[in-house]
Formats: sequence, C-alpha cells, structure tokens
Amino acid sequence: MKKTLRFRFALLIGKAAYRMGKLLKMNASHFPGRLAINICPDFLGRIDKPEKIVCVTGTNGKTTACNMILDVLKDCGYDVLNNRAGSNLNAGIATALLSNSTIGGKVRKKLALFEVDERSSKLIYPFIHPDFAVCTNLFRDSLQRNAHTEYIFNLISDHIPKDTHMILNADDAISAGLAPSNDRTYFSIARMDTDHEEDLNIINDARICPNCYHLLKYDYLRYHHIGHATCPNCGFTSPESDYSTLPDFSAKTLTVTHDGNTEVYPLITDSIFNTYNQITAIAVLRELGLSPDEIQKSFGMVNVLESRYSSAKAGNLEVITHLSKGFNPIACSCVFEFVSKQEGNKEVILMLGDIYGHSHSPEIVTWMYDADFEYLNQTDISHLIVCGERCEDYKLRLLLAGVPEEKISCVPDEKAAHEHLWLDKTEKVFILHQVYATSAAKIARDKIIESLH
Amino acid sequence: MENNIIIETLYPEFANLFGDLMNTGYLKKCIPDAVFADTHLFEEPAFVSQDVSMVFMGAMSEKQQELVVSALMPHKDRITELIDKGCIFLMTGNAMEIFGQYIENEDKSRIECLGLFDTYAKRYMFNRHNSYILGNFEDMKLLGFKSQFSHSYGNNTDCYFYKVTKGCGINPASDLEGIRRNNFYGTYTIGPFLISNPLFVKYLMSVMGIEHPKLAFEDTIMSAYNSRLKQFETFKPSH
Repeated sequence: MKKTLRFRFALLIGKAAYRMGKLLKMNASHFPGRLAINICPDFLGRIDKPEKIVCVTGTNGKTTACNMILDVLKDCGYDVLNNRAGSNLNAGIATALLSNSTIGGKVRKKLALFEVDERSSKLIYPFIHPDFAVCTNLFRDSLQRNAHTEYIFNLISDHIPKDTHMILNADDAISAGLAPSNDRTYFSIARMDTDHEEDLNIINDARICPNCYHLLKYDYLRYHHIGHATCPNCGFTSPESDYSTLPDFSAKTLTVTHDGNTEVYPLITDSIFNTYNQITAIAVLRELGLSPDEIQKSFGMVNVLESRYSSAKAGNLEVITHLSKGFNPIACSCVFEFVSKQEGNKEVILMLGDIYGHSHSPEIVTWMYDADFEYLNQTDISHLIVCGERCEDYKLRLLLAGVPEEKISCVPDEKAAHEHLWLDKTEKVFILHQVYATSAAKIARDKIIESLH
Repeated sequence: MENNIIIETLYPEFANLFGDLMNTGYLKKCIPDAVFADTHLFEEPAFVSQDVSMVFMGAMSEKQQELVVSALMPHKDRITELIDKGCIFLMTGNAMEIFGQYIENEDKSRIECLGLFDTYAKRYMFNRHNSYILGNFEDMKLLGFKSQFSHSYGNNTDCYFYKVTKGCGINPASDLEGIRRNNFYGTYTIGPFLISNPLFVKYLMSVMGIEHPKLAFEDTIMSAYNSRLKQFETFKPSH
C-alpha cells in the first residue's frame, strides 16, 4: 500500500507519542499505535513490515508460547521485532512497528513475532499478512467478550490470508480446523498414561463432529476437549502430527519426532499446559529454520514466567499463591486440578471475585458452573475459604461439587481470609486468586508466614 | 410422585454455553427420584413418545441454532400439544429464539423457526449485548445476566415471561422479558437461571406436582439469592 500523506502524519504523531511515553517512563505499548490508527485507519497496512512475520494466537498459552519463542530467538542472536511490552491488539502491533521504523516508515528489523488477541483478527491479519499464524488452542473464554468458540474460530479463519502457513494443535479438534485451505503444520503430544477415555470435565467444547455434527468419539482425552477424536459417522479424525512429542516429566525431557527423526529437548515445565506451549514454540522455531541443536541449547536458558505462581515457607508449612483467571472456566479448572494433585494436607483460599471488573453490572457468576470445582472435593483438602462479595455463590458451587458444608468458610472480606485458616496439620495453603487480587494474595501469603515466625 | 417426573435436556452436548447444564444439575439435587434424560442431536426427543414433565434447553452457537431448528421442526405439533397440556419448557439464552417466527442475519437472510410465538430475532454479530436484568414474575423477583448477539422483536405483550424493572426485555427498547405460554418459559437470561432464582425452582416443583417442595442447600442458595438481589436492586454502574 502507498505511503500517503495521512499515513506519514500518523507515523510522525505515533512516534512522537511513543517518545513522549518513554520520556515520562510510561509503558507506551498501546497509545501511540492507537493514535496512529485513529489518524490513519489502515496504518498497519501501509507501514513497512519485516521480511518474516509470525503471529501467535489462541485462548490459552499464547503469551507463554510467545515468550519462549522470543527467548530462544534472542539467545540464538536474532533481533526480533515484537509486542512483548504490552498490548496484543492492533494498536499494540502498530506501536511495535512504528517504534521500530525510521521516520520514513522503513522497518529496522527482518523478523517479527506478534502475540495476537483472537478477537482482533480482522483488524490485524489482513493488514500485516503473517507468514506463519500459530494457534495454541481454542476454548470457551470470557463469555461477555468471546461468546463461544464458533464465533472466535470464524473470526480467525475468515481473516487469515490464504497464503499464510498455519501452525496448529492437532490435539484440539476445534483450532486444528482453522483456515482449512491453507498450508499447515501440526504439533501434538502422543498418548500418555495419564490420558482418559471419558470426559472428566464439565466442559468439552468439541463434543460434536465439525463436519457432520454427530457425537465425536475420543480415543483419549487429556483435558476438556484436548485429545484424539474420531467421528464414527463420517470418519473425521484428529489430524496426523508433523511434530509428535512425548514428555518425560521425571527425566525432564521432551522427545519430538519430526520427519522421521527424533529430537530430544530439555523439558522446562512440570505441567501439561506449558508442555503444549513448549511444543508450540519448538514447531515454530523449527519451521523458522532453527536447528534442534540451537533450540536445545537455548531452552536451557528459558524460564517459564512464574508471576502466576509463588511459594513461601515457614517451618513445615508452604504457602502458595496461584493465579486462577476468574471468568475463564478452563483456566480455573486447570488450577483446581493442579491443586488436587499436590501432595499433603491442604487448605485453600479462593479469591476469585472480580471487585474491579463489574463497573457496568453486578459480578457475573455463570462461569463458575462451567469450572470444575469438583477437583476441590478431596479428602486431603481439609478446609476451603471462599471470599468476596459473592462468597455465598462460591459456597453453593462447592456444595454442588460435593464438598461437605463443614469444610467451607465464607469470608466476605478478602483481606481477613487468612485469619480464618485452621492450620491444623496443614502442610500447604493454596491461595487461588483473580488477576486483580495478585497483591492481596501475596499480602495474605506474607501475613500467614509472618504469623508463624 | 417424584418417580413419575421425567426431565429432558435437549442437546446437552452443545446447548450448554454458559453453565446452562447446572439448571438440570440443580434439579437433580432437588428432585433426586426424578428421571433425567439427555437427548442428543439426531436422536428422537423423549417428549415425542412420552409425556415428560419438563424439557430444558440452554444457549448455543448460531450454527447450532440452525441444527436445532431442523431437528425440532418435525416435532412442532407435538411441542404445541405438550405446551397446551401444561408441560414445562425452560429455554435459556438464544434457545428461545428457535420457537419464534424466524431469525434474521445481518445480510437479511432468514432462518425459518418453529413459529410457535409471534416474536422474531435479529442477529448483530459485531455488537454483543451484555447486561443484567431484574424483574417481577407473579410474587417473586427474577434476576440474571444476558450475553448475546441477537434480540427478539414482535409483540410479546400477551406472552411475556416477566416484567423488567432493571435492564431490558426481549430487546433494548422492551421491558417485557422472554416468552411464555402456559408453562413454556423462554428467557434470554443465560446460564444457571434456576440457581440464580431459587424461588422459581420451588414454583416449578409445585407445577410438577411436588406438594412441599424443598430446595437442595436451601439456606445457602437463599442466602446467595438474597445477597445478589440486594446487589441488583441497589447497583449503579460506575461509568
């Protein structure tokens, strides 16, 4: 697209706003791009782009997968234009591009990696035309923003350019079908001992065949609809994988079979969810032309972002805070399952209310009936404390999950939750918190530790 | 009596977008001796050959709405017969649109629906509507949340479910929520409508012929309801 006067003016203003933000020590990852797009709506189409662009989207794991890819690329000496600094909307990508461009609009880097919000697909893909579009998975998410997977699927699929190469999760019967006429590469995790044949979760967003709508049969399920599906009616089946992997959590290795060769990588996570993020990263890096050796060496330096998890100890008691993204039933279910699998006598504090997120409406509670609170009904979880304005709703949800009433304490004031712990033979206290309650959870953690010193 | 109660859930494999299945999940706790039947797409619904007590269906995607219209169209007369006989139908979210005249897409194309009510729906796929709702049904207050791409239009003055005191009815200009005929209740309210409205559960249990309806976890569910009701009645958006 031609660089019009309007575009040049937008670029100038955007760059000035970016400089100003930096001078004021602000995280100027969104505003400069928003300004530029407001002045020139097709700004993203007109600005020069790097020679190669990779976009990563998906309901869960896109930030972690992007971080892994970026860390390895940087370690291998690549200079990568990216939007890690902040926004994954069109404005964030515009900011990343304008801040890495000359005043004439020439881009300074040859490779770009962008995390893309699923809902922004139509505002991004047609303009930046990625060489590779990666989708980690598609699940139901915040119902108010994302509606349902069919809506998000169509948003992505309808706006991906025809010549973009897709990198997709073969174990996800939904996202595996994105942009069906495009070239594609699949990654997957081979069948594991811990897989099961029946639904263990409330939600399975892919119970019916995408082609004929009959009930799918799962050869195995890993969590929710992640697994290997076949349709007894029309023969639909989960696709063959180009990067088939098998993690060994005790040996901390990830064995990848690709083009008939076996590659072994250090496994940098304990969870299956981050293993998916790691194989997403491996598939992308290999498709970009990095060698197994380069990736293996660099993965030794990569850390999974731990801000979602923290731990402190006092004597025999360990206090763990863990982000549990409220309103995202899949994310909450995964955290509840993680807690259920931890050894020892446990007490759990749930700080899942959204005190900031309901300025337009009372707090929505429907999502909790999609989340598997049933995982918290365990004999080794002796006590659950539910907090916040909607604590009675959480108590009801736990009762419906089968948790005995005497195990549940309702504490409307989040800040006082830790005072209600029993700490009787308790070995671990889990504080599962909403994004906005991160600092409240850490304060509670420190107060518990302090009270024991 | 409870042994004769049959509660059918239609298409639970997909009509479950917002925790809707906990509607029948909660009824299982309240009426443990009732028979609960799930009917999947391409199966004949239980209500075709049996006089069921209640039929439930939850919210679904737009494509799935079209599949359900096709699946239920052959049973339109039987559904009319059951409504006239007083069978309970509870349709949450966009499930209720299937019983209106048609659903109109943004390109003006239409999906002809069962035509049991005079209302029709219009989809606005780039304008998702999120809101909360409070209203009066008989001597109780009903409340809930809405999250939808479509609204219904047409005259429901003689067949609305409940009158709205906060929020909107079947469209942003209406204060009459949902559709009702005898014991057919359709509402755009999403998710666990029954859990949000325990008094309505008691009401439905009475309609089913249960003499002294007792709610599961009655103290907790009533306490949660009263707390939520207070919040809905006093809530003022901050901006």
